[in-house]
Amino acid sequence: MQTYMLEHRYPLPLSPTMPNVWELWQRAKTLEWDPQTDIPWEELHTERYTPTQLRAAQLYWSRRTWGEYGAISESPALLLRFCLERRLPDLQFFFTMRTMEEGRHAEASWLMAERLGRYFPQPQNPPTVGAVGTHGVRRMAFDPETSLEGIFASLVCAAEEILIDVFKATVHKATNPAVRRLMELILRDEVRHIAFGWHCLDAWAPSFTPETIRNIETAVETMIENVEFRGYRNLWLAVEGGSATPEEIDADEISCAAGLGGSTPEDEMQVFPAFLAKIRKRMAPYGVNIRLFDHPRLGKV
Amino acid sequence: MSERTEPDFSVPLLRAYQAQEKRFVERRFPLEFAPEVPALRELYSQAKGFRWNPETDIAWERLDTSRYQKATLEAARLTWSRRAWSVYPGLTESTALLIRFCLESGTLGMDAKLFLSFRPAEEAKHLEVCHMLADRLGGYQVEPGEPGLARISNRPFAQAALDPDMPVEAFIAALGALDDQLDLNLCLSHLQNAEDETVRTALRLIAGDRQRHVTFAWVFLASRIAGLADHGRTAIIAAVHEMLADVILAGYRNTWLLPVDSREPWLAAEAETARHGLGASTVAQERSVLRATVAQVRERFATWGLTLPRVPHSELGTV
Repeated sequence: MQTYMLEHRYPLPLSPTMPNVWELWQRAKTLEWDPQTDIPWEELHTERYTPTQLRAAQLYWSRRTWGEYGAISESPALLLRFCLERRLPDLQFFFTMRTMEEGRHAEASWLMAERLGRYFPQPQNPPTVGAVGTHGVRRMAFDPETSLEGIFASLVCAAEEILIDVFKATVHKATNPAVRRLMELILRDEVRHIAFGWHCLDAWAPSFTPETIRNIETAVETMIENVEFRGYRNLWLAVEGGSATPEEIDADEISCAAGLGGSTPEDEMQVFPAFLAKIRKRMAPYGVNIRLFDHPRLGKV
Repeated sequence: MSERTEPDFSVPLLRAYQAQEKRFVERRFPLEFAPEVPALRELYSQAKGFRWNPETDIAWERLDTSRYQKATLEAARLTWSRRAWSVYPGLTESTALLIRFCLESGTLGMDAKLFLSFRPAEEAKHLEVCHMLADRLGGYQVEPGEPGLARISNRPFAQAALDPDMPVEAFIAALGALDDQLDLNLCLSHLQNAEDETVRTALRLIAGDRQRHVTFAWVFLASRIAGLADHGRTAIIAAVHEMLADVILAGYRNTWLLPVDSREPWLAAEAETARHGLGASTVAQERSVLRATVAQVRERFATWGLTLPRVPHSELGTV
């Protein structure tokens, strides 16, 4: 094992330096939950739904599982980067908990699909894999040329922000108690994940250079175009339609209408522009200017 | 970014990780979640059930430092600082191993991935405990201040976890079956020797998690060994042998095995900490734990037809 490069390990400070991030780490430890025992599975009552509704919900929750898996196969690379770059201990402590929570979300989403009748282990057409399979954060995290600020702005803040905005806007439609509870628990964790991202950007902002700001703009714009508009989270948003089948594209809406989780195109039409307006406003004090996007169904947003 | 004091040293490190990551071709789909090795899934379930919080599950208010002399507190703070340095690598090692499993296959290994998604947070809790104890005993020390200990306690295992030339079974055999097992056994020895109630609780909670980590390694290996070709089996022996000869016997876990010039003040601090029941073992106790652990590991490997060669050591004889 001698051929590897050594880290610069010392000094190894461990005292909290960012109180609001440290508080998130402390809070996360008090809010742990178990998908097996903390969801009222006995209230799922699949017999109350039609086969079409169940199949749509199975597709929706399978797809969510694939998305959550990205946070255990990719995002943990950020923790390695924090450690290798010797970032503040607060970041390192909190991110361990985030990885744990994302693993829990993946397991919970898989369990939901299974208990609705079936988990689908892959998209119906292989080319869709490219759109739903990865947001590329692992590669970015290991790339010293990719700025950490850009990764935070695009994937820790913006990508997670739209996810929970849609959850917030649709959780009331989840009339099934088991589904609703799961959405609430995921939402509770994700709120902390996003707060973490914003706390870090706020703390770093005074040292942003014009280059940092350009990096952030490019990263966020790339995330919108190459991740969101390729249908990573919701296939209906895919600009070119990809190779997703009509059944996969419609699954979110049918599942949502049945109260089993998901969103409708109308929800996306409302939430997505509001999300963009929100992050533009939130990043403006950093000097970041996110441009307008053309989308065939959302229009100019 | 103002928080980073020496930005440039990390660039070659990141490039090394980047190069390793690029050597894998991730096949994420089909992405299977159903349990393959029920015992590993059970360990994951246990991890979810046995959650604890260093802030609230340890009775810090009962740690009465006024009972101890200044020299004892100084010793104990050094001992717990050193322990924090030895826990810290777990954050990166277990994270890198998680990524490795994900890079290797979406179809296989979900039990291990879910288990490993929990482990960095458990390591972070152990780190927090060590830091809190050191702080309360007089102050956490941020570095060894001695090049020998700094060098021997800084190993590139996280990078090894992402090395496609290192079979994942070999990595887990070396770090999980041998090093984690030794770490667990030492922790249990410290617990047996500890008299302070707060320190005992801390060690008991850490040992509970460590036991799961060690069991993970053995169960994982048991699930894979039968399917390994000769190359994989040879790699396991080589990795475990290297871990024992070059890392453990160099003092990675045991201060009394460090080069003579690097042992103090740590060795005296551990003796004083052990004498007052604040969470350490005597050299004699550690020596016996090390020998027993190596014997135990060797016997378990032997049941799989894997022979771990004996290692000569100038002070210990043959181990």
